[in-house]
Amino acid sequence: MSHYEAPIRKPLILGNKTYHDVSVDISKPIFGKANKLWWFAFTVALLAFLWGVGAIVYTIGTGIGVWGLNNKINWAWDITNFVWWVGIGHAGTLISAVLLLFRQKWRMGINRSAEAMTIFAVFQAGLFPLIHMGRIWNGYWVMPIPNQFGSLWTNFNSPLLWDVFAISTYLSVSVVFWWTGLLPDFAMIRDRATKPFHKKIYSLVSFGWSGKAKDWQRFEEVSLVLAGLATPLVLSVHTIVSFDFATSVIPGWHSTVYPPYFVAGAVFSGFAMVQTLLIIMRKVSGLEDYITRDHIENMNKVILVTGGIVAIAYLSEFFVGWYSGSSYEDFTYLSIGAATGPYWWAFWALILCNSVFPQLLWIKKFRRSFVFSFFMSIIINIGMWFERFDIIVINLSRGHLPSTWTQFSPTYVDIAIYIGTIGFFFVLFLLYARTFPVVAQAEIKSIMKSSGDRYKGKKH
Amino acid sequence: MASNKKYWTSVVELKDSSIVEKLSKSEFQEEIPVDEFLGDKDSLEKSATTRRDFLKYVGFTTAAASLAACEGPVIKTIPYVIKPDNVIPGVADYYASVIADGYDFANVLVKVRDGRPIKIQPNKDVKKHNTTNARVLASVLSLYDNNRLRHPLENGKQTDFKSLDAKVVAKLNEINANGGKIIILTGTLASPSAEKVIADFKAKYPTTEHVVYDAVSESAALDAFEQTYGERALPNYDFSKTEVVVSVGADFQADWQGGGFANDFAKTRVPKNGKMSKHIQFESNLSLTGANADKRYALKPSEQKFALINLYNAVTGANLPSKKTPQDAAIKKAAQALKAANGNAVVVTGIQDKNAQLLALAINSYLQSNVIDVVNTKNIRQGNDAKVAQLLKDMKAGKVDAIITHQVNPVYTLGKDFTDGLKKTKLSVAFALANDETAKNAQFVQTVPHALESWGDVSIEKGQYSLMQPTINKLFTSRQFEEALLSWSGNNVKYYDYIKANSTNYLNGKSFNKALEVGAVSVPVENADVKINEINLSEAASSLAKTKSGKIELAVYTKVGLGDGKQANNPWLQELPDPITRTSWDNYLLLSRADAESLGLKNWTVDNGALNGNLANVTVDGVTLKDVPVYIQPGQANGTVGIALGYGRTEGMQKEMMVGVNAYPFANKTGHEVKIEKVGGEHKFACVQLQHTMMGRDEITNETSLSAFINKPKEEWNPAPKFSLEHKEVSIDEADLWEKFDDTIGHRFNLSIDLATCTGCAACVIACHAENNVPVVGKREIRVSRDMHWLRIDRYYTSDMTEEKGKEEGIFGSGEYFNAQIQPQDQPEVSFQPVMCQHCNHAPCESVCPVAATSHGRQGQNQMAYNRCVGTRYCANNCPYRVRRFNWFKYAKNSEFNFNMNNDLGRMVLNPDVVVRSRGVMEKCSMCIQMTQATILEAKKENRQVNVGEFETACVNACTTGAMKFGDVNNPKEEVTHLQKDDRTFKLLEFIGTKPNVLYQLKIRNDKA
Repeated sequence: MSHYEAPIRKPLILGNKTYHDVSVDISKPIFGKANKLWWFAFTVALLAFLWGVGAIVYTIGTGIGVWGLNNKINWAWDITNFVWWVGIGHAGTLISAVLLLFRQKWRMGINRSAEAMTIFAVFQAGLFPLIHMGRIWNGYWVMPIPNQFGSLWTNFNSPLLWDVFAISTYLSVSVVFWWTGLLPDFAMIRDRATKPFHKKIYSLVSFGWSGKAKDWQRFEEVSLVLAGLATPLVLSVHTIVSFDFATSVIPGWHSTVYPPYFVAGAVFSGFAMVQTLLIIMRKVSGLEDYITRDHIENMNKVILVTGGIVAIAYLSEFFVGWYSGSSYEDFTYLSIGAATGPYWWAFWALILCNSVFPQLLWIKKFRRSFVFSFFMSIIINIGMWFERFDIIVINLSRGHLPSTWTQFSPTYVDIAIYIGTIGFFFVLFLLYARTFPVVAQAEIKSIMKSSGDRYKGKKH
Repeated sequence: MASNKKYWTSVVELKDSSIVEKLSKSEFQEEIPVDEFLGDKDSLEKSATTRRDFLKYVGFTTAAASLAACEGPVIKTIPYVIKPDNVIPGVADYYASVIADGYDFANVLVKVRDGRPIKIQPNKDVKKHNTTNARVLASVLSLYDNNRLRHPLENGKQTDFKSLDAKVVAKLNEINANGGKIIILTGTLASPSAEKVIADFKAKYPTTEHVVYDAVSESAALDAFEQTYGERALPNYDFSKTEVVVSVGADFQADWQGGGFANDFAKTRVPKNGKMSKHIQFESNLSLTGANADKRYALKPSEQKFALINLYNAVTGANLPSKKTPQDAAIKKAAQALKAANGNAVVVTGIQDKNAQLLALAINSYLQSNVIDVVNTKNIRQGNDAKVAQLLKDMKAGKVDAIITHQVNPVYTLGKDFTDGLKKTKLSVAFALANDETAKNAQFVQTVPHALESWGDVSIEKGQYSLMQPTINKLFTSRQFEEALLSWSGNNVKYYDYIKANSTNYLNGKSFNKALEVGAVSVPVENADVKINEINLSEAASSLAKTKSGKIELAVYTKVGLGDGKQANNPWLQELPDPITRTSWDNYLLLSRADAESLGLKNWTVDNGALNGNLANVTVDGVTLKDVPVYIQPGQANGTVGIALGYGRTEGMQKEMMVGVNAYPFANKTGHEVKIEKVGGEHKFACVQLQHTMMGRDEITNETSLSAFINKPKEEWNPAPKFSLEHKEVSIDEADLWEKFDDTIGHRFNLSIDLATCTGCAACVIACHAENNVPVVGKREIRVSRDMHWLRIDRYYTSDMTEEKGKEEGIFGSGEYFNAQIQPQDQPEVSFQPVMCQHCNHAPCESVCPVAATSHGRQGQNQMAYNRCVGTRYCANNCPYRVRRFNWFKYAKNSEFNFNMNNDLGRMVLNPDVVVRSRGVMEKCSMCIQMTQATILEAKKENRQVNVGEFETACVNACTTGAMKFGDVNNPKEEVTHLQKDDRTFKLLEFIGTKPNVLYQLKIRNDKA
């Protein structure tokens, strides 16, 4: 071995596995049969998805008026959900790209699923800007493509157009990066497959991976290049999403702190969602040895840091708004007016879920607890949804002119579409869990012998 | 000379022309493998369907299927066989006419496109009565009311005029022969020819009596005037001469005594040489006039009567019997101001009590008021309460044999008394537009044409004669009231000929046709000596002073939207938010905050931002209105409740329009004691403004006092926003982020609104509705802030909690402070602010649209390309003024929105110059670009410059007080160009840097004693 092994380095994979054990573990869910729990979860998710599809069809057929929006609050759950899903889609790339560049090898246990989550989340996110359009059938007009309208072009000043580019770039790079990592693993499945159908499919998706040294060399190079490409995207996507608000003139939106604060918030919520999914998955898919307590703790540390950044952003938003002395800032989403106004519950949901409860993660015992981490991740997911809801709805409900102040309340269609996207997300994720190598086994195999001497060969 | 040169088109042709020749001869270069293609010829021929047949079938069916799928919408157009000379398709004609429906009277211009009247405008060529309120403007839609009766009825069954005439005349003759009583019950006609028609009818049937009934009566004022001046008419007022006006319960800027005074009064509201009028208002409901007053004092109806006596005493120094009121100090001050005005002062009152009206006339007479005009009296209210009461008695006693009603709906307004009496008559004929309450109960319904389909003459005031002419052929089988009466009297002359003949009596030798063209003529009135009868004022005062004060007193009023309720089936008017409560589609019981609290009645906002309220049973003199929604109204005098007439109609109406409660049982009960009992359930209001105060935001609307305006520099009362650039204080132009382009070429439009003269009357809102095909969305949608009005009128109240007070109490910036700031004062000052698209030069909406559907025009407009819009609604979110309106649903041809755009008749009102927007697109004020472009084109066609003042928008045209001005600021002669630099000018939320093309002039309140 060329690299140095610290004698105290803990193993990243437990269970004293052999290479063969890893291959068997990873291919088990693919060749095995789904259990009842999977079928139950899949059915529920599918029903939710179908309900959402129905709601979307109804919306497109009847008009956006079936949502709870009005002429003063023109966005609410639609863009809340969009930003929420985009934010969730942040952890995957961060884990696989940024942590790759920083050589954080623990990422290998979780990066595959985190990236899958990213891609599926971006699918959901991308849905909302589409269906929130009044005339979705003309939605392609936001693409700068040659058209029959003569010189009519898109408006490159519009942050919504930047969104189109940002999200589509992010999605395509993420998919390519993910698939690249999947190649050797698909090839492993292909090689182990006994049924011709399996063999056919997996040889197709593994793009003829042969395991030659040249394959590996190119694989490593491409991974590095893609990691380099993806890293700025981690920052750019949510920066651009935040421009939707920051470039406006609306009090509470018009704020220069938005880009860094949104990125931190996105990582915060993304890691929370990774926690939610992996804590369940390690149990359900029997991956306890691959997704360990150390992983959970590491991710909790990221959550703590990004949560801290978000909390500071809240404080500065609150302070700057107040310090400006401007009466137009009295009712922005982080203000005394919001805390005591009709949306006080949304304000406090944001503060408590995002900035107060996560502080418990300073305590190591909590940080290393699966159960606690799971509940905390749910709380953060809720809190981050409320952050976007507050930014959009509270700020729009309290615009410049008090004569235009109003409130928003969702209709069942709003709710159905949101639940529908959660259903769609889980449909995709559950299918993924049954058909994809959910751990990057090829990479895992490279770190199995990296633990210190005193951990080697020891049984747990 | 023919050329013999050889031209070649390619090098190949030059070198070897044979290839080209070969190519040009055979289209297919290679042999077509026909044999191979057809395969075995024998078997092919044996099959029943040959390949060729098969291809034919395929080709035919494909073509047929695609043709069937391509069927476009069928729009029938029927060309003229002989085109009338004056009708040019696509070019509007304007006809002068007059609207006179017994409640509203105005000289109008009717815009007719391709034979359809589509808009009513004020007729500015006529000097008097040339302002149009919301109802007059909206009446064009009532023409196309889908609930209009299509044919006459006999006992609810269709009939024709021939059989109706035969039966009615037979009955009339029978009644006449028996000496039975025939009653013609009409609203105020104010028509010389119609009155002559009735006189003719009387000659034929001598037992006929003509009773005039105004549902919203001014009988007391008429009686008082008759007693004082010997003529039953309404005094006229020239408010342009006003220095001081004291109004005791008179809504004189809206519909008091028929309205139409706002324009003259507005002329005194902008300081000239440091002077402007002073307006003091004593009232119980917060009226439009009270909202615009310099000083407003809340008084109960009973106290208003005492106030008038006290005012008389204070002005004349007399000592008539009276009682104290809470505002006696203010009354004394008002009296001093009145006296100091040297005759340029006037007292007006809306109290429906002859004695009160006598006192007001006496005060004006004592002041030698120049404002009141007792010579050129007004004819637009002639109703006589005593006669109507007598009629009801007679009907009850069965003494009335025949009753003919016209322009009134007594079953609705007079209720059971009338309905019971009606059953006892031998003949009842209702002249009606729709099968309304009275028509339903009458034996015969004689359908009448709408004013826009009729001939007529109207004398709004003495010496002023307006002519009404049809602007469209009768839509349905109908006949004018006058024509029917003429026919029943045995005179088969056309009413047009009748008017023309009769007009010689008043036209003073002027041409009838000329009068018809202009719309009205003015003939001199003999200035006879005004005789004032001796009035026993102390008797009047002592009778007034005997008025008992109730714990809670009733104050009935009318709203600018529905008025007396004639046009309750007009969706534009129903959807028009009341300027004060900003609530549409309803009437309600207005209560002060204190009274509401003591009665346990509440208004509250629900989750979706909509307003809900408690219900109450309201009892006056033993008559109970059930389940009346309660609206808590700042400015309402404690111990009073208000309720609007005109709602609660149930017949001849569309279901959607049957809203509110019928308050006519209370019509004459203003000042009576009210019992209010809270009942279960809640009411859902359609209120478009839920926050009533400005929350300490000074940059929204601005006002100042007269003394500050005169004595202080502009920077103090209308400061321009200042910005910091490189640590230096700079103006907005210096802080601009963008490079300026040259906008001095061509036209550049600005719209200017003077808040000093804007009364909030909402005529502009209806004009905008009509001009721009703004959809009606209904109560449910209005309720959730989906109103589509391109132009709204924000109304703000002052709050008790100010920044200074908050700091004093140490709660500034706290939740407690904000919650106090949200509450309006119990007796607030009110300001109105019309807000439409501000057409920002740096428009926030333009930069955020991903598809560039909204962009800036060279003429300054912020333009909206509907067919480019994909509906992301980002523009609406980024608009600080919230003036953008989204088509949440398909509003036209959709049974969910069953208003005028859902039926063929109602769609006839649509302006062909403006597209009806489809679902999913954003819309907003366009600064009536179709009007400005038409003006430009017309000037171009005539090869001339556009004249000063020629540019107009619908709202500016309709503005009753001239508060709105519009024009090209690149033309130094235009009024708006000067207004740009006026000291009073400010822009809405200017500090954002949007650089609007809409200007506001701040309001000035006269604070001089």
